[in-house]
Amino acid sequence: MREPKLESLLPLPTAVFHILIALADRDRHGYSIMQDVATRTDGKVHLSAGTLYSSIRRMLEQGLIEELSDSPDPSSTDERRRYYRLTRFGRRAAAAEVDRLNAMLKQAHASGLVPGA
Amino acid sequence: MMRDLSVFRALLRCYPAAFRDEYGNQMFLMFAEQLGEARRTGGPLETASLWGRAVWDTLTIAPKEHWHVTFQDIRFALRSMAARPGFAAIAILSLALGIGANTAIFSLWNGLMRAPLPMVPHPEQLVMLTDPAESGMWHGNATGERPWVTYAEFEQLRDQTTSFSAVMATESTLDRWQIRYRGSDWEQLHGRLVSGAFFQLLGVDPIIGRLFTPEADHVDSPVAVISYGYWQRRFGGRTDALGQTFTLRNASLTIIGVTPPGFIGETAGQEPDVWVPLRMQPLAIPGEDRLHESPPEKAMWLHEFGRLKDGATAARAEAEANSILKAGLQQFYGGVPEAERRSDTLDQFLKIRPAGIGASETRGGFSTSITALMAAVGLLLLIACANLANLLLARGASRKAEMALRLSLGASRGRLIRQLVTESLVLAVVGGLTGMSIGWLIHRALVRMILQSDEQFRIHFSLDPMVLAFTLAVTLAAGLLFGLLPAWQATRTDAGSALKEQSRGGGSMGRMRWTRSLVSLQLALSLPLLVCAGLLARTMYNLQHAELGYPTDRLWLVSVDSQVAGYNSQRSGILFRDLFDRIQRIPGVRTATFSYNGVFTGSSSSDEIQVDGYTPKTDKDRSSRWDMVGPRFFSALGVPLRLGRDILESDDATAKKVCVINEAFARKFFAGRNPLGSPVTLLAETHSGIVKTSYEVVGVARDYRTNSLRDAVRPGFYFPMTQPGDSVKRATYLIRTTAVNNGVLTGVRQAFQAVDPALPILSASTMEQQIAPWTAPNRATAQVAVAFGCIALALAAIGLYGVLSYNIARRRGEIAIRIALGAQPGGVIGMILRETSLLVLGGLVVGGGLTYAAARWIASELFGVAPQDPVVLTLAAVLLVTVALGAVFVPAWRASRVAPMEALRQE
Repeated sequence: MREPKLESLLPLPTAVFHILIALADRDRHGYSIMQDVATRTDGKVHLSAGTLYSSIRRMLEQGLIEELSDSPDPSSTDERRRYYRLTRFGRRAAAAEVDRLNAMLKQAHASGLVPGA
Repeated sequence: MMRDLSVFRALLRCYPAAFRDEYGNQMFLMFAEQLGEARRTGGPLETASLWGRAVWDTLTIAPKEHWHVTFQDIRFALRSMAARPGFAAIAILSLALGIGANTAIFSLWNGLMRAPLPMVPHPEQLVMLTDPAESGMWHGNATGERPWVTYAEFEQLRDQTTSFSAVMATESTLDRWQIRYRGSDWEQLHGRLVSGAFFQLLGVDPIIGRLFTPEADHVDSPVAVISYGYWQRRFGGRTDALGQTFTLRNASLTIIGVTPPGFIGETAGQEPDVWVPLRMQPLAIPGEDRLHESPPEKAMWLHEFGRLKDGATAARAEAEANSILKAGLQQFYGGVPEAERRSDTLDQFLKIRPAGIGASETRGGFSTSITALMAAVGLLLLIACANLANLLLARGASRKAEMALRLSLGASRGRLIRQLVTESLVLAVVGGLTGMSIGWLIHRALVRMILQSDEQFRIHFSLDPMVLAFTLAVTLAAGLLFGLLPAWQATRTDAGSALKEQSRGGGSMGRMRWTRSLVSLQLALSLPLLVCAGLLARTMYNLQHAELGYPTDRLWLVSVDSQVAGYNSQRSGILFRDLFDRIQRIPGVRTATFSYNGVFTGSSSSDEIQVDGYTPKTDKDRSSRWDMVGPRFFSALGVPLRLGRDILESDDATAKKVCVINEAFARKFFAGRNPLGSPVTLLAETHSGIVKTSYEVVGVARDYRTNSLRDAVRPGFYFPMTQPGDSVKRATYLIRTTAVNNGVLTGVRQAFQAVDPALPILSASTMEQQIAPWTAPNRATAQVAVAFGCIALALAAIGLYGVLSYNIARRRGEIAIRIALGAQPGGVIGMILRETSLLVLGGLVVGGGLTYAAARWIASELFGVAPQDPVVLTLAAVLLVTVALGAVFVPAWRASRVAPMEALRQE
């Protein structure tokens, strides 16, 4: 699939960014992504099934993630689960989003909107 | 838990099938785990929040996913259209023609029958008490429902009503006025006399200046309000138009205001240039007082409108208006001595009707034609849709392998149908948009054609919500209906056999049956359109060549209105005689004569008569048309006399009163007796009672046509204008020239100038121009029918060509084998033509039945040609067969050129 232009994807929707972060350290299935997001946000963000899979559908089309043909976890008992992995393009998109957020944070500090670090 | 999960499964059904197939199980698994965990750890609050999120997802995410799929399908459809531009162009053009023709006719129907009066607030409160379809004037007495009211009757309702918040009256005809600004030449405009409350009741405000008010019914107000269009045209929108004064007959009127753009007043399809208070009538239309009535005669000439008060019902208002009318009639006819006649005169009533769409004379006249045209364009749309269906079927067949492949890769049939239907919808929408522009063009052409018969007719192509909804509905119906069947067919397959079939090049019999039936249907639908077009075209020809009873070549008609220039009846007679003498002397004039009504001017006169020895069966049986004519009228016009002599110079005011009658008169009133020497008595009702004038019949003229091309010639009698039976105020000169365009008209203008420079020529035209309005509606209908017939034929030919080309391409292998086995090219062509003939024959048989019904339906529109005219029927059938065979000849010829080895190698 042809990758879209990186800039056209920014800013990333919150759910997409969360999914990218969840997939940063290892490949995961949907439920695991949801759990990881909930843990990292102290239960503040609960991705619902619809939001999660609608985002996954879009991220697959955009080439941010890819689906694995085999389960990466040989011990997994449930063959129905589908696993997703971050692509290089996905990693670049996440980095670009972080840069964008950092730049905004700096501006907020510089303008005195919030106390500087 | 199980029940919860089945509820969630039901929610999942709200997502598009493709998304559900891909992620449904994952979502289900995830939800089950979340639900289990919530029950274990969180309790009811956690569970409720989970459900809340699931429902919220269904409401927000599912529609987004649907849109995503549709968007993809649309993109795919556009790409596949671009990949096959020929297919797309034919499909879109077919639909655009069908939808365009329908939009045009529908918006014409909508504009005439339904559209509210422009710029009038709350049109639903507006009612009228007279007949919206009638315009004109009636002097005398009436019975039954009143088409118009008198000025006095309007005043009575205006002053006594409790049901209406306001009542107004307007002149029922739109007048053509000759006016003159100081220092300028005569100019012509359309004007209407209206009562003071006109603008207030219609709720309109001036764009500049002011409008006259109900006050104008009580005080002489020599003012005029002009329309926005006239203001722009005549004054270029300058504000100094206000205060300008013009002369209209005996009135000198000052422009006080301009109505806003779009405002046309109370009559649909007419756009007056100027409105003048009714109270100005004696000056604006001099020679008669229509504002006051004195027994025994009423002058009925006004339409009456009202706006209902809040809470007032139409029924109550009607009852009130009738009781006021009755009281007025009782007072008016109180002095009539005969009891029977008095009760007759009281049998009159007003009928209340909604007037939000305004009055319109045109509406009734065109409703039959428009209904017929709507039926015709409906057929056209069906043919266009059949084309679309056929094209989609053919294309579906060529994509069978693609569909089979996708099915075998796991796509659901529903998904494929959805995509195919989206493709046909996209075609339909593009076709609909193109159709809208074609509709605009067709509508403009139609209005121009109607204008030829009614020069005051104005109607705009407006995309009002109704027209838009109609186009949208037609477009969607066409896309859905005619996309579904081919989509169903294209996806009805089991993957293996379709893939095999594709490599073998065979065709599915079921689909072929469909396409062949559709082609036959197209031909069947085209036949009635062609036959009706042929019948209407012959009607038009017959009307244009109708026998009038006198030669029409090199005949000029020049009308003059002496009343405008301030002449009374007696002076008018002298004036017309003077003009006649001068016109006769103009070089290039072969013969000239004149009469009060002229021929085909739209004017006619009729009155009650008495003929000795004739007993009328009913009241209507005692009336006859009449005309006042100049010397040697019949010989100058070229109407042969059957008996006796023409009207002569010597038949002047001092001589014995004489008349010439036509054959219809002789047949009806003399029934075989010799009319020469018998008296004919004209009974004219005047203020001083009935005046009888007797004329001795001195001649019988052959029947000739003056008012209608179709109807039987009515009884008529003709007496010298020098022995008038009514007041003389206008005349039409009938001038036959020695050659075409020999400049006689310049001489006529000079003659007018010499007699009286202030005398305007009302109109000057050749006989062909004069008669055009009588043939124009038929010409318009015939032109439209012929155009639609051609479109139908073209669509059917395209359909046939497409299907046959496709069919033959599929049979290349079979044909190649035939040729390899020794079949000659001629034999192959013959075989294909034979097969096509069956389709055509089927179409002709079904079409024959439709044609019979359609031709009978339009029988009343025909003239001089029978609905089952064999020439037209044969011609239409031959044309259809020729075009059909022509359309298949190219593919057939191509098939006969198939090189067997090459074709078989491809197999």
